[in-house]
Amino acid sequence: MTSSVLVALRVRASPERAFDAFTREIGEWWRPDPLFAITPRGDGVLAFEGEEGGRLLAHLPDGEVFEIGRVTEWRRGELLAFDWRQAAFAPGQTTRVEVTFAPVGDEPRVTVRHFGWLEIPRENAARHGFPDAITQMRAAEWWRKSLDSFSRRAN
Amino acid sequence: MSAASLDRVLTALADPYRRRAVELLRERPRRAGELAEALGLSSPAMSKHLRALKEGGLVEEAHPDFDARVRVYSLKSGAIRGLKEWADETERRWTRQLASFKAHLEKEGRK
Repeated sequence: MTSSVLVALRVRASPERAFDAFTREIGEWWRPDPLFAITPRGDGVLAFEGEEGGRLLAHLPDGEVFEIGRVTEWRRGELLAFDWRQAAFAPGQTTRVEVTFAPVGDEPRVTVRHFGWLEIPRENAARHGFPDAITQMRAAEWWRKSLDSFSRRAN
Repeated sequence: MSAASLDRVLTALADPYRRRAVELLRERPRRAGELAEALGLSSPAMSKHLRALKEGGLVEEAHPDFDARVRVYSLKSGAIRGLKEWADETERRWTRQLASFKAHLEKEGRK
């Protein structure tokens, strides 16, 4: 058991085409999951705004926009990385998603790796300008919330 | 959860070695010596960190039947459950989304 999640599959398309579809067409293929929604009002329509330094946004039906996270890597046909935050997360808690596009014969492999906070490398936090103490505080906040809900369930 | 015990959790996790120890204990219970070696810490330093984690209610210690002098540390079940729920939900989400992504990509390819 690790604190990151890895899901991979192979696609019949070039890595560049797969990258473009993953980013530019996310609003067409993303399937909202009512049991595991990004915000209490659902997932809305997802869209990447800009490239590296841009954002992944959820456009909600009422016209509001929820920022899921910043795009930290945008290398067409190779690597996409962005922060991932859901509305239910503790304030400031974030996780990170890395998507790689690897040429394997004529069916490239698309791999999604989603890192929980225990595994977010320190450089990533530094790049965003968070001092380490703040990252730790955020991590602690997540634990506090989780343990709080366990103790409520247990009682 | 009382304010005092919350403070202890916060204190327990306000250290990168202790967070790394939690990560290692997610895999399986380990002896203090094993943890010290993996983290590159002296045995007194490791004991201090383990005490903080124990006081925070994140880990518990037990003695194996064969030797009462040996201490084996493991994560408490509540702490594991939180991480496992996140991992299970996240894995389900991406499995479903990637299948939908593939269908989208390949439907277009046949045009």
